[in-house]
Amino acid sequence: MRRAIMIGVIFMAFVLLTGCWDRRETNDLAIITGVALDKNKEGQIELTAEIHSPGGSGNGSGGGEDNNQGGVQSTVLQIGKGSSIPEAIENLNEKLPREILWSHAEAIVISKAFAENGISDELDFFVRHPEPRLRSYVFISDGKAKEIMALRPSLERSVSEALIKLAESEVLMKATLFDLMEMLKGEQGAIVLPMIDKLSPEEGQLPSESIAYIHRSAVLKQGKMIGVINDQISRGVLWFRNEINESIVTVEPDEADEIISMNLIKGRTDLVPEIDGQSLKMTVKIVTIDDVIQNQTSWDLKRLDKLKALENELVQKIEKCLTDTLDTVQKEMKIDIIGFGEEFRRHHPKKWKKIKGDWDEKFPTVQVDFDIDARVLRAGKGSET
Amino acid sequence: MIEKGKISALQMGLLMYHAILATGILFIPATVFNVAKQDIWISPILASPLGFLSVYIAYKLNKYYPKDTIMQYSKHILGTFWGKMLGLLLLLLLITSLSVMFWQYGEYVVSEFLPHTPKSVIIGMMVILCAFAVHGGLEVLGRLAGMVFPVFFLLFLVIIILVLPDVEVKRMLPVMENGLMPSLKGAWVLCTWFAQFGIIYFFLPFLTDREKGLKFGMLSVLVVTLTLVVTNIIVIWLFGNVTENFNAPFMSASRYISLAEFLSHLESIVMAIWIAGTFIKLCVFYYVVVIGTAEWLNLSDYRSLVLPMGFLIGVFAMQVFLNSAEAAEHFRIVSHEIMDTLVYGLLIPIFLLIVAYIRKTIFKHKVRRTN
Repeated sequence: MRRAIMIGVIFMAFVLLTGCWDRRETNDLAIITGVALDKNKEGQIELTAEIHSPGGSGNGSGGGEDNNQGGVQSTVLQIGKGSSIPEAIENLNEKLPREILWSHAEAIVISKAFAENGISDELDFFVRHPEPRLRSYVFISDGKAKEIMALRPSLERSVSEALIKLAESEVLMKATLFDLMEMLKGEQGAIVLPMIDKLSPEEGQLPSESIAYIHRSAVLKQGKMIGVINDQISRGVLWFRNEINESIVTVEPDEADEIISMNLIKGRTDLVPEIDGQSLKMTVKIVTIDDVIQNQTSWDLKRLDKLKALENELVQKIEKCLTDTLDTVQKEMKIDIIGFGEEFRRHHPKKWKKIKGDWDEKFPTVQVDFDIDARVLRAGKGSET
Repeated sequence: MIEKGKISALQMGLLMYHAILATGILFIPATVFNVAKQDIWISPILASPLGFLSVYIAYKLNKYYPKDTIMQYSKHILGTFWGKMLGLLLLLLLITSLSVMFWQYGEYVVSEFLPHTPKSVIIGMMVILCAFAVHGGLEVLGRLAGMVFPVFFLLFLVIIILVLPDVEVKRMLPVMENGLMPSLKGAWVLCTWFAQFGIIYFFLPFLTDREKGLKFGMLSVLVVTLTLVVTNIIVIWLFGNVTENFNAPFMSASRYISLAEFLSHLESIVMAIWIAGTFIKLCVFYYVVVIGTAEWLNLSDYRSLVLPMGFLIGVFAMQVFLNSAEAAEHFRIVSHEIMDTLVYGLLIPIFLLIVAYIRKTIFKHKVRRTN
C-alpha cells in the first residue's frame, strides 16, 4: 500500500515536470531588433518592426556574405498601424505568424514628424512593458523612420545593429530610453536626442545600400521636438553635460599657417553654480587631456614654450566651441539642455525653489565663466620640419 | 509547550531578517520614493527605532513569562476571557496579513515573470511548499533560514557590485531638499515593515540561548536597516527621479545591468533571491499563525493544523483582491490609516506589557494568586 502511494506521488510529480507553463521556444518567436515609429497622413501610428530572420544568419559558411548581393536578408520588416502603439502592435501581431519578443529591441527610431507631435505619451508603452530594455537607444530620424529601417548596411547585419554601434562609439550624442526618461522627468523636461540621416547613395549603389549615420541632434521640450542643433553645437552640449568621450580638436595657431590636430584622451566638466541675489552665475570648469596626432606646422612640440602655446590654443578652441553652443542654446533657443537648472537645484536647493518658476526667463540671463585647463601630454614622434 | 524544538538566537535573527526584508527589498524603494523622493535612504534609519522598540517590548514580556508565547501570557495578564479575545484579534490580523503576503507573491510572479500561468497554481504550490516546511517544525525553519541567508546576501552583493558602473552619485543631491519632512513621511510608511519585528514574541520562548535573544533581535533590526539603506542608495544613484516609474526598482536595476555586452538580463538572480527570501518570510508567518491557533485552542500538537490552515490561507489569498485597484486601496489603508502590523507588532505587546507591569509591581500578591 505504502509503495503504491509512493509510486502514485512520483507519477503526479511527472505532471509538474513537463516544463514551464510560460515556455516560449525560440522557433516560435519573432525577435524584434529595432523599432521605427512614424505618423502617417491620417494621424495613425505606423510601427515598423525590424525582425530577426532566423534563415538569414548563421546559415553555414556563407553567412558573412548574405547581406551583400541579394543574398538572404538577416532581417525582415513588418509594419503595424493603429491609433496608439499597443494597437499598432496588435495590428503587427495579426500579420506575424510568430509571437513577438521585445527584449532585444535595442534601437528605437522616431520620425521627426512624430516627435514634433510629442513623444512622452507614446513612450509610456516602452517603459511599462516588462520586456523592452531601458538601455535601448533612441534616435530621431530626419525623414521617415521606416526608410532608415529599410536600409541594408554593408558592415553590420541590420540597421539597428549599425545604429547601436554608432551610438556606442560616442562620437556624437547618444541617448538611451533611460536617459530619455530622466530628461523628461528633469526640472525642465528639456531633451536632446541624436538624429540620424542617411547618406545619398553613391553612383552605382542601390538606394537601400546607403548608410545611416548620426548627424545633428534634435532638441525637444516637454516631449515635443522644437529644433535641431548641428554637430559642433552638439559637441558643445556634450562638453557641458560632461559626456564628451571622443573628439578630435584641430587648432590653427596664428603664428603658424598650418594646423595641429589633437585627440581627446580625457575630458571632464564640472558646473559650479552661484547665486548672488538676483544674478545667476555658472562657472564651467573643464579639465582635458589631449594627445597630438597630426602636426603640419613648423612648431617643434618638444619645446616647452611651443607646447604651452599649443595648450593655450586648445583652451581657446574649446572656449570658442562652448560660447558658440551657449549662443545657440541659451540665447537663441532659450532651452536648458545643458543641465544648468539641475545644477542650481543640486547646489542651492532653497534658492532654486524661488527661481524655478520663471527659469525659462532666467536661463538666458545666466552669466557663464570658463575655467579651462587643457594639457597636451604627448606630442607624438612625427617629423620636425 | 507545544513546540518541542529549539532554535538558536542567531537562527531567530535570520528568520526575522527574511520575514521583514524579503518583500521589502523589492517594494520599499518605490513606495517610499513616492513621498521621500531622493531622500529614501534616510527613511529606514528614521524608522528603525520602531523595530528596536518592538523587539525590546517582546523581550521584556518574555522576561516576565519566559516559557510562554503571547497567546499564553495574554491569558495570564488579562484573564482567560479577555486574553482569548485578544488572541483571537491577533490571529485574525495575522491570518489576513499572511494571506495578503501570499497574494502579493502570486501577483508579482504572475505579472513579471509568468503571465500565462494561473495564479492558483503559483500560490497553491507555494502554500504546499511552506506547509511542508512548517510541518517540519521550528528547527527546520531555523536551519532553512541559516541556509538561505548566505546565498541571499551574496547574490545581493553581486547585484550591487554589478550595478556600480552605472551609478551617479549626484542623483542623490540635494540631500533633504524639502527638509526632514519627506524622509519622515517615508519612515512612516516603513513603520509597517519594522513593526513586524513584533512577531518575535512567538520565537523568544523557544531559544536555546535565551540571554542572547535580545542581542540577536536587535542585530537583526540593524542588519535589516543597513540592507534597506544600501538598497535605497543604490536605487537612487542608479535611477534618480525615474525611480517612481518602477514597481520594483531593485528588479529593474538588475535588468539594467549590462557588462561587456554578455552579462545582462540578470533579473533571474534577483528573482531567485526574492523567492528564497519570500519563502522564508511566508514560512515564518505561516508558522506563527499555525502555532498561535494551536495554542489558542489549547491543542496538544500544532502539526494537524498545518494543512487545514494552508488551505484556508490559500483560498483567501486567491480571493482577497479582485484587481490591482482594490489591492492598491488596501495597501494605502494599511500603510497610512489602519496599520495592522503596527497593531499586532507594537500596540498589543505594549498594552500587555503595561498591564503586566501594573499587575507585577502594584498588585504583587494578586499575580501570585492567579499564577
